[in-house]
Amino acid sequence: MDNLNRIFWAGQEVYVMKVFMPIIMGFLVLLVGLIALFALSFWWQHYRVWRLGKDEDRSGQLAARLKSLFAVTFVHARFWTELYPGTMHFLIFWGMVFIFLGKIVRLFSYSVGLTNPPQTIFLSASLVSEIGGLLVLIGGCLAIVRRYMIRPSRLVTRPDRTLIFVWGFALLMTGYMIKGFRIGAAGVTVSPDWPSWAPVSYLISRFILILPTDPLNELLVWHRVLIHVLPASILLAYVIISHSPLQHLFLSPINIFFRSFKPKSVLPPLPNIEEAETFGVREISEFTWKQLLDLEACTNCGRCQDVCPAHLTGKPLSPRRMTQNLKEHLWREGPKLLATPPDQRQPEALMERTVGEDELWACTTCMACEEVCPIYIEQIIRNIDLRRYLVLMETKFPPGLKLTIKNLMNSQNPWGMGRGLRADWTKSLRGGILSKGTDKGILFWVGCAGSFDDRNIEVAISLVSILKSIGVPFWILGTEEGCCGDPARRTGNEYLFQNLAQANIEILQKYGVKQIITLCPHCFHTLKNEYPQFGGKFQVFHYTQFLADLLSSGKLKLTKPINKIITYHDSCYLGRANQIYEAPRKILRSIPGLKLIEMERHGKRSFCCGAGGGRMWLEEHIGTRINQMRTAQVIQTKAALIGTACPYCLTMLVDGIKEKGQEGIMSAFDLCELVEQSL
Amino acid sequence: MEIFYRPIAIILELIILMAIISSLFAGMQFALLDLGLDQKYKKFIERALVIMGCLALVFFIAHLITFYPRLSLF
Repeated sequence: MDNLNRIFWAGQEVYVMKVFMPIIMGFLVLLVGLIALFALSFWWQHYRVWRLGKDEDRSGQLAARLKSLFAVTFVHARFWTELYPGTMHFLIFWGMVFIFLGKIVRLFSYSVGLTNPPQTIFLSASLVSEIGGLLVLIGGCLAIVRRYMIRPSRLVTRPDRTLIFVWGFALLMTGYMIKGFRIGAAGVTVSPDWPSWAPVSYLISRFILILPTDPLNELLVWHRVLIHVLPASILLAYVIISHSPLQHLFLSPINIFFRSFKPKSVLPPLPNIEEAETFGVREISEFTWKQLLDLEACTNCGRCQDVCPAHLTGKPLSPRRMTQNLKEHLWREGPKLLATPPDQRQPEALMERTVGEDELWACTTCMACEEVCPIYIEQIIRNIDLRRYLVLMETKFPPGLKLTIKNLMNSQNPWGMGRGLRADWTKSLRGGILSKGTDKGILFWVGCAGSFDDRNIEVAISLVSILKSIGVPFWILGTEEGCCGDPARRTGNEYLFQNLAQANIEILQKYGVKQIITLCPHCFHTLKNEYPQFGGKFQVFHYTQFLADLLSSGKLKLTKPINKIITYHDSCYLGRANQIYEAPRKILRSIPGLKLIEMERHGKRSFCCGAGGGRMWLEEHIGTRINQMRTAQVIQTKAALIGTACPYCLTMLVDGIKEKGQEGIMSAFDLCELVEQSL
Repeated sequence: MEIFYRPIAIILELIILMAIISSLFAGMQFALLDLGLDQKYKKFIERALVIMGCLALVFFIAHLITFYPRLSLF
């Protein structure tokens, strides 16, 4: 090393001992204090409040939980569905990680002799921090452009958000300025290759004015380090003690870790329904601790709002706004409840003051919000819990639902048709249907739509025709079949649902049923995923899975061409709830001559038909009709046919085609009917 | 670096210092409100912090003009 360098690094050693070491020691003491503050604040602000909620078991599946956590946190697995915000957040996150790693190495490098002269690891750590800062700057600029210039409607900009940007920018720039000043004071000829190891700071050093003497420069170093380190520590303290949006740094990973691994929209039963004194959720502490964590973890990103069919058609529901309103309610009521002995608490009701009835009943339980949420917030169960309270405790529900509930109670179907008429649709079948018994093959669960709705009876007949033609033995329960209970459960009438479910399970167990094939995805979801809660464990298939298997094995051959263009509408309870996307498409691709084109919103992003969540039985009085919006999306594809595998969706699409004046131009069919035509 | 750049450098330093100060003050205000301070005190706190910010600004301008160097080693 030449003499000039030796003198320089000897001088640097003086700076380190007199300037940086005291700062570092002070910072480490402050850091210990910050960690203690964080632990205390976490317990005081968050953990105590979550414990207000009911117990819920989210233990187990540790490996899967850790895998989710790493995938979402480090790879940003659920962020990339939207490229711009995904990129922006990825840059900011990894930039912060690089800055942190670089700083940690440099913080402890002096004590292990890596700084005088700077060894490669020290210089590399410096470079890593520089790159990190650049990534954060680029990501931050993308974020500022999006929030303040593009201004998507789902982003709510409050002063505390702007504060984070200003503070972050100031901290980044002061960090670069410290390094830039040191480079400027040292001079390029003294230290080796600064531009390679600290490119951004080197650029800044070209613009920094240096004081004429060493002691004055030393004073300036103190000044610049203090205006970087102190505000950084105070920012950390602010994030810890306030409700800063940056708290998602630790709340989001916790929420991801405790996510549910069950299929979406599998509703938990009300425990001890016969003896319970309250049902559903009236006030905030009646949610579970996980539901309260969901509220706190929500980052207000608005992805759920952008996909909600109710919001997009002008209904008062916005999943984002509902979650944020409930969060503010929690922040307001939580401390009051904690300060009051349990027997003296008078918590505020949630309905009307925090959540409106129109808002709540607008939800179709389509699960689009849960599909796009980056941190696995569960909205559907929360909405149903609120509905359960309204229906079971206050007997409050929309007028159209009253008749549906009465029909389910009296006739075990939502149409109110006599139970004895349930098998009448079979009268038109040639050869009838085989009598009952598991020795007769697989049970065909027809469902209420297939039994009573004229349009869907045609679908049931098509499936029967297909099964008979390929020689698959099957049978039906006929008049012993009752509604699966889906309309009751999704509208909050858990008591009625459990009665219907238990009655059906008894009958199924009486016949020793092992395998069931369903026409309707709602029946499929309920029988497969929710009947086991009451002891009804069966092997349940939706007919699309069954037919796709038969096509794969060659037992089902489709030979007659249908020379048309078709688009496929994914039913929410087949697709998002049960991840069945490929089986229906396989069926369509197997039909000769049929050309499948996808809508923009297909697969996981499919747009609801508007009938789920009990809305099949309710009128839409607010905004535009959801089925019309979906039909408009279908029309954009210019397809002649729209295929679906759900009786609700078929009904809504047929109505949508009529309402949009597209009769004669396009037609809606169930996949069964198309398969039958192609046999 | 020429003397022409001195005002620009002072302004840049001022921007960063005021960004830090405004962030600190705004953070203090939000934290106080988050910790339960009544909303009715919000305007008073805002005005107090604006006054303190203006005092800080005046101090920084005077300080930087007085002490920022006129000479450069380059």
